[in-house]
Amino acid sequence: MSERPLLRVTNLTKHFPVRGGGRRVVHAVDDVTFHIDRGTTFGLVGESGCGKSSCARTIIRIYDPTSGSVELDGQEIAACPARELMPMRRRMQMIFQDPYASLNARMTVRDIIAEPLNAHFAALSRAQADEMIFAMLEKVGLTREHANRYAHEFSGGQRQRVGIARALILRPDLVICDEPISALDVSIQAQIVNMLRDFQQELGLTYLFIAHDLSMVRYVSDHVGVMYLGQLVEMCAADEIYSHPLHPYTQGLLQSIPIPDPRLARLKTASGLEGDLPSPIDPPAGCRFHTRCPYAMAVCALEQPPLCEAAPGHCVACHLHTPRNCDAKSVSIE
Amino acid sequence: MSQWERVQTNAQDRERIWSVPRTFAGDVWFRFRKKPTALAGFLIVVFLLCFAVFGPYLSPYGYSDQSRALANIPPILSVSDAPDGNYLYVTPALKVILIGRDGKLLGQLSKGKDDETLRRIAYTLDAQTEVYLDYSQKPAMILSAEGERTPASKQVWNTTYLLGTDQLGRDILTRLMYGARISLMVAFVAATINMVIGILYGGIAGFVGGRADAVMMRVVDIISTIPLTLYVILIKVTLDNGLLSIIIALSSVYWVDMARVVRGQVLSLKQQEFVLASRAIGSSNRTIMLTHLIPNAMGPILVTVTMLIPSAIFVEAFMSFIGIGIAPPMASLGTMCNDAMEALRSNPYQLFLPALVICLIMFAFNFVGDGLRDALDPKLKK
Ligand SMILES: Nc1ncnc2c1ncn2[C@@H]1O[C@H](COP(=O)(O)OP(=O)(O)OP(=O)(O)O)[C@@H](O)[C@H]1O
Ligand SMILES: [Mg+2]
Repeated sequence: MSERPLLRVTNLTKHFPVRGGGRRVVHAVDDVTFHIDRGTTFGLVGESGCGKSSCARTIIRIYDPTSGSVELDGQEIAACPARELMPMRRRMQMIFQDPYASLNARMTVRDIIAEPLNAHFAALSRAQADEMIFAMLEKVGLTREHANRYAHEFSGGQRQRVGIARALILRPDLVICDEPISALDVSIQAQIVNMLRDFQQELGLTYLFIAHDLSMVRYVSDHVGVMYLGQLVEMCAADEIYSHPLHPYTQGLLQSIPIPDPRLARLKTASGLEGDLPSPIDPPAGCRFHTRCPYAMAVCALEQPPLCEAAPGHCVACHLHTPRNCDAKSVSIE
Repeated sequence: MSQWERVQTNAQDRERIWSVPRTFAGDVWFRFRKKPTALAGFLIVVFLLCFAVFGPYLSPYGYSDQSRALANIPPILSVSDAPDGNYLYVTPALKVILIGRDGKLLGQLSKGKDDETLRRIAYTLDAQTEVYLDYSQKPAMILSAEGERTPASKQVWNTTYLLGTDQLGRDILTRLMYGARISLMVAFVAATINMVIGILYGGIAGFVGGRADAVMMRVVDIISTIPLTLYVILIKVTLDNGLLSIIIALSSVYWVDMARVVRGQVLSLKQQEFVLASRAIGSSNRTIMLTHLIPNAMGPILVTVTMLIPSAIFVEAFMSFIGIGIAPPMASLGTMCNDAMEALRSNPYQLFLPALVICLIMFAFNFVGDGLRDALDPKLKK
């Protein structure tokens, strides 16, 4: 390990109480461990409802974690009291999934982008703030004429760029992108992704990039983690996950990527993933995927497979691939 | 030949927003005025406000100026000709009033001999002339020079008291102005106080959530199990009569609806991504509440307020009607209705006019509330 990773998430767990359900909880995030090196992008994928957003929001302390630790540049944030979080909040920001819901319709674009400045630099004068805001607007391809417009007057792509401007104005180190493109047109998606990549190069940003299918993640990520029902089931370098997917769930996800060529599509044998996501309130015992897994064995329903390094730099939690000498604690990808 | 030609675009045009910039309030007003009932309601509210605020300054009478001689005169008078060219009006109480040709009330004729056998009363018009009122048959009528009963054939508008007088001879128009003033004042003050309490209470309950929310909302549930009007009456009974105590009574319970609305809004808004974004930024709770939650809940809040106003007006009128509201001689629409009840048969206009104003106010505010609800609904945006 040459350098300390920018973000290290260890055994992060987030359970939501079920309304009127007594002691029952939603297992939104369960025992998730990964890290992201400075300047790289970690892609987090999984079906809808598997806990990607909950994981992101727990990392950035929109939600308080149930247990586990999150270290940003060596500083613990999961257990930090809310009022001591401010300096750390400045260093991590988030871009949201829904460009319509993530901007306050009663505020002008200027005020939306000014909110982080007001929260962190109370001493900044309005003129200074305006200068920074206009510069930022130009960086995301908007002009100062847009500053006094209300968010509802913009197109989806423009709104998402306003969201990016709001996230980047504080010059954070870590930016969590929670499906920033899934609500946009395909033509706009590439524009936004390219913009994010340019910013990464220019400002040395580190991304946690969330998506629900693997197609875009391959293009932007250095490492990829696959989530299922709140748990990480596979984690490796981005190219590796496409060339050698090990977990049956990952294989299913890869098969559900639409193939543009109909002749190739007809050749496809297995039809991706079968069945529905089980309820996260009482997830299946043993391996959580065994109810839908085509290779399920007797042991899968009984014992939960640990996340182990099955090949160099390639971790997977599956009984098919568990090496004999696996020690779950030593998991890491370098 | 192609009908279509390729338009050259550049990056700047693509990013441009072609619509005129419109603020939120401008947008709402634009949609509000498209709806005729809403606009009519709004204009009536404006008119009633002017009527109540400026009217009393233009009126020559005060709300308690009485002239007993000219009590119970209706706004439209059925008159018969007097020998001197003016008109005579016979009141249900068999008084004869001299009316000018322009509809001015010139005064009551002094009563002369009452002939019980012929059932006629003499009234002195001036030193030489007398007129006779025949009451042998109903209705009582003036006798002509030939001694024939002449039915009241003409209608003239009472120009001294445009809307007539009540049973104490007070000008009804002036009293309506004061009554509307009280109604609107009660409505606006009660609405403002209820809005503030409701926003604070509901906002805190929704924002804090969890156990505090559950306890606070149980309190609201308990208050609202009993009809609110009953509370107001009970509270009112223990206080003095008067404007202030009505407002206190109204303000102490009517906020529960507002609190429910605000709590519901805050609960759903605080899960929205822009509020989560604000948390991720590190904005204070105060900022989140004041710049994100309350402004976005303003639509339902405004609608609830405009719907609360008519019920506050009605409760005030109702309390004054049953005698625990505004203290006499101050005029309130409710007390005016109550006063009119004694002689409803002979003077229906005394009940009709204040009741009409109550209806007008309530209709107007309901229409405005309805229009606001539609105008604030972004799904109807055109
Ligand atoms: N605030 C909350 N309270 C209770 N349960 C929640 C909350 N947020 C999320 N959940 C539950 O946690 C689970 C994971 O949800 P999450 O939003 O993290 O999924 P996701 O992977 O981001 O899905 P999507 O791709 O649709 O965004 C879901 O079952 C959801 O119902
Ligand atoms: Mg999500």
